[in-house]
Amino acid sequence: MSGSLWAALALVAVVGGDDAAPPAAGLEGRPSAGQVSPLQARIDAAPAGATLEIQPGTYEGDLFIDKPLHLVGRGRPVLVGSGEGSVVRIRAAGVTLEGFDVDGRGGGDLGRDTSGIHVAAPRAVLRDCRIVRSLFGVYLREADGSVVERCTIEGIRGKDPGEKGSGIHVWNTQGFRLLGNQVTDARDGFYIQSSAHGVVRGNAARDLRYGLHYMFADDNLFEDNVFENGAAGAALMYSKRIVFRRNRFLHNRGFASVGLLLKACDRVTAENNLIADNARGIFLEGSYDNVFRDNVIAGSDTAVILYDSCARNRFHGNSFLANLSPLLLVGRRTDTDFAGNYWSGNPEPDLDGDGRTDRPYRLVSVFDHFRGNLTAADLMTQGTAALALAAAEESFPVLRPIPVEDPAPLAAPQAVVPSATEIRAVRSLPGVLVSVTLVALALTVLARGRRKA
Amino acid sequence: MKEATSLLLLCARQELVLAVRSRWTQIFALVFAALALAVAGSGYILTGGHGVQDFGRTAASLVQLVLLLVPLTSLLMGALALTPDRGAAELLFSQPVARRTLLLGKLLGLFEALAAAQALGFGAAGVLIFQQAGSDGLGTFLLLGLGSLVLTAIFLGLAALLAAGSPARGRARVLALALVVWFVLVLVFDAVALGLASFLPSGAASRLLIVSVLLNPADAVRTGALLAAEGTTAFGAASLAFLRFTHGPVGAGLLLAVSLVVWMVVPPVLAVRRLGRSDV
Repeated sequence: MSGSLWAALALVAVVGGDDAAPPAAGLEGRPSAGQVSPLQARIDAAPAGATLEIQPGTYEGDLFIDKPLHLVGRGRPVLVGSGEGSVVRIRAAGVTLEGFDVDGRGGGDLGRDTSGIHVAAPRAVLRDCRIVRSLFGVYLREADGSVVERCTIEGIRGKDPGEKGSGIHVWNTQGFRLLGNQVTDARDGFYIQSSAHGVVRGNAARDLRYGLHYMFADDNLFEDNVFENGAAGAALMYSKRIVFRRNRFLHNRGFASVGLLLKACDRVTAENNLIADNARGIFLEGSYDNVFRDNVIAGSDTAVILYDSCARNRFHGNSFLANLSPLLLVGRRTDTDFAGNYWSGNPEPDLDGDGRTDRPYRLVSVFDHFRGNLTAADLMTQGTAALALAAAEESFPVLRPIPVEDPAPLAAPQAVVPSATEIRAVRSLPGVLVSVTLVALALTVLARGRRKA
Repeated sequence: MKEATSLLLLCARQELVLAVRSRWTQIFALVFAALALAVAGSGYILTGGHGVQDFGRTAASLVQLVLLLVPLTSLLMGALALTPDRGAAELLFSQPVARRTLLLGKLLGLFEALAAAQALGFGAAGVLIFQQAGSDGLGTFLLLGLGSLVLTAIFLGLAALLAAGSPARGRARVLALALVVWFVLVLVFDAVALGLASFLPSGAASRLLIVSVLLNPADAVRTGALLAAEGTTAFGAASLAFLRFTHGPVGAGLLLAVSLVVWMVVPPVLAVRRLGRSDV
């Protein structure tokens, strides 16, 4: 069969193939003859709705699926792409693909969204696939109701983030589901834009730029995901009504890295998340009516960065543990409600035993203005002198900074945090022995005074 | 040479006995132990036994305790012990023992007594910490103890320098000077550095703060201990700025060590010279 005939067929498929919506411009069509996978003939021959079992082996070339099919890989067949375009191109609704290894060979073109698996049709199901060396791992483009489940995506290690795509890219796709996937070494773990009513559950994104990059997408649910070792755990912009439950935003430790960033996002609910060991825990700019409840925000340089372009945000029942600074307020005022959180830096006792410490906890310190423009200041802002100054300022406020406080701080952390018994290491003995030795030595020396010299 | 060493040790032993019998040492030992225990225990007790008071943060609180108490106590004990009573100096210096040996012996004895007092506190706190949190932080804990000893040596040396300058003019003046030194090094220095930094452009301000931290012994011990205990999370981005300035952790360790050794060696040497020249 000649190349020109393939091209003509491809043209027919592109123009008249899908009756739901004409494929948008720039969409990759049928691979050309030199780049096509040997499996293509079986796909073209199969009737719509058929199940094809693919035997183990390596199949070199790209695959174009333009009818509803169920492709099952037995013994993990490897689909090695041509290196010129997306390895698997799904162009018909209701395609299921499971049990494949996909190798993008690091090739393709960001501008054409070259992916391991590129889906431009509704209701695709991708399950148990492993995608390596692709610019984008999985690309869902106008693929309403598609599911990506238990897939592993390993991007192109060493390539600059600007030169590669997202692990799982979701664009203009309603009701998507991303479940139990693992992404590493991509530009962003999950990129979601203009896509609503999705569920993202049990995924992990590690060692990349943003774990989650998110724009113009409302009403999505994130549960039990892990976003770690990125420039940001999750960066969300221009979106509404998003729910985060039990996610972990960890070790985002770059110079200005953030655990969870909301910019122009409204009515977000974040509950029971662990936001720990980030340069900045939560970042809020131009965002309204968001609720942060029962989260643990720990080990950050600054726990919350809050711009005065925000309003009506609420923090309740969160545990702020061992952060260098609880809050950096950028601007002059805030109406954020911080009532009823636990702050590990709060020295106040709870003498009346009502579970709240007896005085409000102030969230700004005299040194906050230093932190904004002079990073080295933190070398001294915890020193004895700084503590003395802060204490003096607390007792005799001459500066009277912008009053941001928790009027009823919790006396003990309410959220579920690892208990002392859980984090207790088994090997107490060496430390205790050394300590006891120290005490014994000290007593021996001190006892000398009792004897005659 | 051997005789000089044994004389030195004799003086040290004599001073140790005196220091250990002193109420001040006993009070210091008890207060230090009580506060160290409080710091170690508070993480668990105040949070109802389920706080994430990991070793790093306990160490950070212990550092504050050490920085506040150890320099003050060393200066005051040193000033008290090294300014002899009226008439005692004449008696002491008329003995066939070099003044240098006398002074260094006394310093050694005092150091032993104070080190023992601190070891008591550290040990008591350590039992509580390690029993609760496991032995992961043992290295940091010992490093912190070492930092505490270094501070003791430095501030005893400074006390010796103050006392050697004015043997005839009485104890009150030396005590007052000691308080001023403590106030300046532990409290005023940082505040002044921060104040100056706020007038400088940010690059120069950063360098000023980092150099200040290296120059001041109290800051040097605090920075070294916290960086060792918590890594770069200790001061956030400031840690990175510091490490970039020193070209990495090895450079940081070296610079801090050089600064501290200079502080340990120079004041006693000057004190010996001043004492040698002074007329009793």
